Amino acid sequence: MNTLADTIKKTNALFCLECGKCTASCPIAQVNNSYSPRRVVGHTLVKSGDDILEDEMLWACLSCKSCEPGCPADVDYTRLTLDLRARASEAGLHGMCTHGGALQALMRIMTTPDLKQNRLDWLNGDLKTADKGKVLYFVGCAPYFDIFFSDLGVKTLDTTRSAIKLLNAVGVEPVLMANERCCGHDLLWSGDQENFLKLAEHNLQAIKETGAKQVVFSCPECCRTIKEDYARNLGNLGFEALHISEFITDNMAASQSLFPTNQRQEKVTFQDPCRLGRHLGAYEAPRKMMQAVPGVELSEMRMSGKKAICCGVSNWLNCTTYSKQIQVERLRQAHATGADTLVTACPKCEVHLRCAMKDPNLGDELKIEIKDVATLAAEALA
Amino acid sequence: MERSRRVEPFEQILKQPGVSLSFPRDPNSEYAVGRIDTSPCRLACPAGVNTKAYISLIAAGRFREALEVVRETNPFPGICGRVCVHPCESFCNRAQVDEPVAICRLKRFVADYELQHPQEPAGPLPVTQKEKVAIIGSGPAGLTAANDLIRKGYAVTVFEAMPKAGGMLTAGIPSFRLPRPIIEYEIDIIKKLGVEIKTGKKISGRRAIDKLFETGYDAVFIAIGAHKGKKLEIAGEDKYEGTLDASSFLYQVNLGRAPKLANRVAIIGGGNSALDAARSAVRLGSKAVTIVYRRSRKEMPANEWEIEDAESEGVKIQYLTAPVEILGRNGKVTGMKCTRISLGEPDESGRRRPIPVQASEFTFKAGNIIAAISQEPDLSFLPKKHEFDISKWRTFNVDESTLATSRPGVFAGGDAVTGPNTVIDAIASGHVAAQSIENYLNSQSLQQASDSKAAAKTSSPGSLDQLTLDSSSTTDLRATSLNGSGRRPDEFEIKVDIGQNRKKLRADMPIMSRSARIAGFDEAELGFSETAAVAEAQRCLRCGPCGECFICVSECEKTVSVMASTDGRRDALLRLPPEITTPNLQSWPLDGILNVGRRKPIPVQITPTTCTVEQEICRGCGECVSVCEYSAPMLIPKPNGLHVSIISERICRGCGTCVAVCPSSAIVQQYFSEDWLLGKLQSMDQTKRNVVIFTCNWNGTELVPPDLEAMSQPDANLIFIRTTCCGRIEPSFIFRALEHGADGVLAAGCPTSACHYSFGNRHATEHFSKVRNMLNLLGYSPEKFQWTWPDKNRDDGFIEAIGLHLRNMRDGKSCSEFVDENKTRAVTDA
Repeated sequence: MNTLADTIKKTNALFCLECGKCTASCPIAQVNNSYSPRRVVGHTLVKSGDDILEDEMLWACLSCKSCEPGCPADVDYTRLTLDLRARASEAGLHGMCTHGGALQALMRIMTTPDLKQNRLDWLNGDLKTADKGKVLYFVGCAPYFDIFFSDLGVKTLDTTRSAIKLLNAVGVEPVLMANERCCGHDLLWSGDQENFLKLAEHNLQAIKETGAKQVVFSCPECCRTIKEDYARNLGNLGFEALHISEFITDNMAASQSLFPTNQRQEKVTFQDPCRLGRHLGAYEAPRKMMQAVPGVELSEMRMSGKKAICCGVSNWLNCTTYSKQIQVERLRQAHATGADTLVTACPKCEVHLRCAMKDPNLGDELKIEIKDVATLAAEALA
Repeated sequence: MERSRRVEPFEQILKQPGVSLSFPRDPNSEYAVGRIDTSPCRLACPAGVNTKAYISLIAAGRFREALEVVRETNPFPGICGRVCVHPCESFCNRAQVDEPVAICRLKRFVADYELQHPQEPAGPLPVTQKEKVAIIGSGPAGLTAANDLIRKGYAVTVFEAMPKAGGMLTAGIPSFRLPRPIIEYEIDIIKKLGVEIKTGKKISGRRAIDKLFETGYDAVFIAIGAHKGKKLEIAGEDKYEGTLDASSFLYQVNLGRAPKLANRVAIIGGGNSALDAARSAVRLGSKAVTIVYRRSRKEMPANEWEIEDAESEGVKIQYLTAPVEILGRNGKVTGMKCTRISLGEPDESGRRRPIPVQASEFTFKAGNIIAAISQEPDLSFLPKKHEFDISKWRTFNVDESTLATSRPGVFAGGDAVTGPNTVIDAIASGHVAAQSIENYLNSQSLQQASDSKAAAKTSSPGSLDQLTLDSSSTTDLRATSLNGSGRRPDEFEIKVDIGQNRKKLRADMPIMSRSARIAGFDEAELGFSETAAVAEAQRCLRCGPCGECFICVSECEKTVSVMASTDGRRDALLRLPPEITTPNLQSWPLDGILNVGRRKPIPVQITPTTCTVEQEICRGCGECVSVCEYSAPMLIPKPNGLHVSIISERICRGCGTCVAVCPSSAIVQQYFSEDWLLGKLQSMDQTKRNVVIFTCNWNGTELVPPDLEAMSQPDANLIFIRTTCCGRIEPSFIFRALEHGADGVLAAGCPTSACHYSFGNRHATEHFSKVRNMLNLLGYSPEKFQWTWPDKNRDDGFIEAIGLHLRNMRDGKSCSEFVDENKTRAVTDA
């Protein structure tokens, strides 16, 4: 592991001007005034040794990268958080896990080498998949989410089925891996570098064995993790990692008749997932895919694209009253557009915003139909 | 730079246990319990059965306690739960939302529950009074009086002319409505208290009553019922063989001497006896059974549901028809001459007067004619000359409020006074008789008692000050409330907010198929399942504030669950008496001394297991509010427009069910922290097969054998982790156990409401099934994750259950509990 000095150097933290633009743009800092990214950077620089690791505020960051575009010194705050958490975790410190840590424990169980998973039981005959091929579809944890969050009415498997339908529609029969494991995203951001690497090595090996040249994701977290974190830790991937919206828009031109005309009218707004937008820079692809569907009218929220607010929780850590405030604000912004449907592109956004909508007191004020961009597009297929 | 520390918010300090101003179990604080009004269902019950209380207890899964409440005023819950006409349901406010609560069937459910979970019945009660009481007739009136009197300390003898006890219950009601074992079981309870029932002993003769007094009885209660069938008073009635009266017909059927019937049977009358006779005839094999009734269906006195059941079994009903002459040939009945009827003006009973239609006579063919027009008391036991005042209906005239006859020391009640009437009215009259007999024997003037009762009626039932109780007056309050307030059910004064309630129709009673029903005399209605009963009871609107179940009084004697730990090494969950938990606490944990037998006193740390909410974390989702059985959490508004949950430490009983469902882990249960769990899991020996067993403390502590090694299989290592209640077992516990190397996980707790926490197993089952489905995707076999809720009252129930599940886990068999539960659900759904 790098030393603290390495981390500071690598993340440009030493160049911090203490201007506070990060804090001003941080969604958590807007609602929790005891949190400030600027202060965390400051403390990292001035504290002796590893004292910074005991700061609870280390775990408050959503790693949504809202703070980075405005930074004049180009400090990589997200990376700083990632490294500090890994160090804290090594020192036996950890953040507060949601659901009693059930989901992190599940991910660690997935590091067991000889699992005989039934994770593709949800596939049905309509979906065409292949054992070998150039394009691989990485399913992610949707089968687990649908059970664990059944109380919230979460339907992330609809998203994965839709993604496969879309791939089929552009003439691709994707490879699916029965021995796929969790991508390790949440373990990585919880500081559990060791188990993250176990999962990463397993998945990378498995993907390479299929010989795929393109890996498609409907979960932006998996996409970011494999594209950037696997590559950073394990070297050159040897394949291209793409979000489903990127893959479909790239291949759509070839088949113009993908979506038949005379679809129903649907007014939608779009929640940019932080991993897809600010982490991977894919702002256009999901919008392009949505707007290719006849009858879909996109109306943007007050804060969208680079300025979009994240869904309030990430990595199954620190789900607090502040998260709820962010979610309530985001849902209100969605309502303000007059849209019927809030379209997102990440299962986590769906879980978190659905949970917020369950508020017994705010009730109907927050309720809005939530749909993944892949589901929206697949519904319109011929 | 000085390292910055966050300052603890003020609320954080306030919610430290002990800082709040009062602590719940302070022996110096006193609580008054009183009723403000009585619910309409209870006011409607002639016997004043505390309906609301037992419904509330069923809703809370406290079935045994519910049954105790019923028994306070009604010794026949299983009988009334089947055949009561339930006036309570007619006044149920739930009807304004959708349908009344199935109060009667819920009573049957608790009675059946006891049959399925038998308890040693109470032994003989000591006789404390010198006077003896004779009761003539062992029907509901007689036995209710006997039951009351034996509890008051009197020696009681019941004389029964029939070979079996039970009066009209046994002789008149067929077993498909009321199975004989139910009657026998409930009468047996009364017998076991010391009541002597002399069956086959008819009191009759010239000096019958005198002899009773001469042989040492000091008071007599005549409760002979109305068993004598009335005559049709038409031509040909006594001329031919094959004419019966319903009363003697049912008597023969019920005592196993059913007569052979013709294929075509006519029953005359429109009451419950007519229907019982008709349905019995169907079961005896008659192919064409017709009820002939002179008015229309609207005027039929029989219960609507009985009529429907009879029709579904193939009984035909001829309305507006009356017989005028019985016809026959060769000494045998062949039919009857009938006339059509039209209805005129209402008579004094409020029903329209039947008027024969001229020249409408016709012949109705039948091989048997059963007259079921009414019954009257059989007064043949009295000598020709006697001192009793008999009415023109051949019933006893008595003082309305005391049931005293014209002879001192002799009382009469039940059908003998009213003519044919309901079981619950007979029970009510038994209570009055017992009270009057006690008053009489205490040489009190009956009139005086009657005055005081009148006075009680006029005083307001509402004022709390009247009812403030200390421990010694608890029973008095109960006694006064049993007599009811003397008001009518429609006088219920508290407004019930109907609009708040969502519609939820009442539970359907599972019933045997028609063909199975008419094939024999087995009980047609099958009874509610536990789940259905709880759901049905939860429909109750709880009219009026206090149900007077008096659980609070007994609960208060117990204390909150408290965790005592000894130097963090060995620990035990204990329920400590108030004197330990209630010094003037300034902060937990509290240092204490634990004395166990003659062993050296052990210094302990005492921590309450109550739950607290971290205000900064709580998202205000309300999950805790929805799962708490005790209403301890509450959502309160925050300045930012969101809500936050707070848990009342006074109400919280520390089961931890809310902790298990909190999505953001905002609820902290003292002692049961993440570190506690991890500490336990780290003790696994990775070289062996580890099975983690989460047990609820209250079942587990008592029954986990001290020597765990003995239970371990040679290659297996058992790790017992005790939680306050199995409701605390959350999904992460199972995942974490696996993560730390467990091979299987078992949850073992109490059955529903077997301990002071009611529904932990329900929540644990939900969590477990969810995790099992997820682990199935991962390729773990579901058999390795099992749960069991053994009855701790069974010998070795807990250890046996654990053994069984360990074997199943090893052999890959599915969880028996799981299968059973699915089976029950399927039955309920069907």
